[in-house]
Amino acid sequence: MSAVFDEVVKIVTEVVGEDFLLDEQITPETSFNEDLGLESIEFVELSEKLQEFYGERVSLVEFIAGKDLDGMMAITVGELVTYIESQLASV
Amino acid sequence: MPAITANGARFHVQQLEPPAASGAPRLSEPDIPTVVFVHGLVTDNLSSFYYTLAGPVVSAGARGVLYDLRGHGKSERTPRGYTTVGGADDLVALLDALGITEPVYLVGNSYGGLVAARTAVSAPDRVAGLVLVEANCAGSGATAWLENMLNTLTVAALSLEYEETGQRLKAAGQRKMARMAMAADSLLNGTSIIDDLSAERPLDSSELSRIECPVLGVYGEESELVGGAQDLVKYVPDCRVEIMPGLAHTVLREATEPLRDLILNWIPSPSLSPVGASAGVAA
Repeated sequence: MSAVFDEVVKIVTEVVGEDFLLDEQITPETSFNEDLGLESIEFVELSEKLQEFYGERVSLVEFIAGKDLDGMMAITVGELVTYIESQLASV
Repeated sequence: MPAITANGARFHVQQLEPPAASGAPRLSEPDIPTVVFVHGLVTDNLSSFYYTLAGPVVSAGARGVLYDLRGHGKSERTPRGYTTVGGADDLVALLDALGITEPVYLVGNSYGGLVAARTAVSAPDRVAGLVLVEANCAGSGATAWLENMLNTLTVAALSLEYEETGQRLKAAGQRKMARMAMAADSLLNGTSIIDDLSAERPLDSSELSRIECPVLGVYGEESELVGGAQDLVKYVPDCRVEIMPGLAHTVLREATEPLRDLILNWIPSPSLSPVGASAGVAA
């Protein structure tokens, strides 16, 4: 797994709370809504923590801007990692 | 999460800077409009705007301020202070705490529209314009809406408390629903919000007529609140109403793009990028 994946798992764990994640192994296929049960306000927190770590280029608002509600809810950890990696690669 | 203490409570606030001003906030620059988003009641929080209107409005060149209302989202759940008058005081105190002195555009969705309208009446010098999305502020329609909200929330409060909905959802591994239920339980059963709502009254016609700033009212054609548009047009001196065809109360979520275009074309600021024609139908 990539360094970005490891970092995303760490940040997601902070947001979701370890107590819930005890039984849940985060993989690239893990979805934020279905599997992690992330609340929309926690998405904001996740967005903020990602920006703190990666800087302005990583914007969850931008990432989900093209998606409708269903698409947004179905986002997986792997898709987020791919987005972050592409943002970091573009200068 | 960024927290600001104002009017005796700790508020979760997100400030978004327009692209040109990123990294170098120019808070006193008067030609960049500030848009403050005010969300709805109980299960709502700033995320409903964060992921819909806020991004596009800020990208177009406005400064965005989003906050969780008292007791909602990540803001402090104080025992009291849930009237719309109190909500208006909170909003003005937040603007003070953020150092925003120039008049701002308020965009209120549903109950947030009531708070925004109340602010336009109580602090007219702080409000440059008012966008009411699916909010009925005056007349018999507003009274009925408030009663309806009160009834729904009273039933929800009883059911959350006696059926221990949150605990049952948690036991079933439904984290998101469990957290929503527990937060709603705590707000409805642990604060004065239901008592405050039962004492709430709509704006009267003289208050509406005292709103000096331009008002844009947006309603779903199928919404039970669409009748409130008539009161706005009748009493507010500078008012425009748009009806979204085929929609009910969920205008913000289901018509984000037309709503964004309406708002961006309505705010008279040279620093905002123009956008295409809106899909709304003038009423």
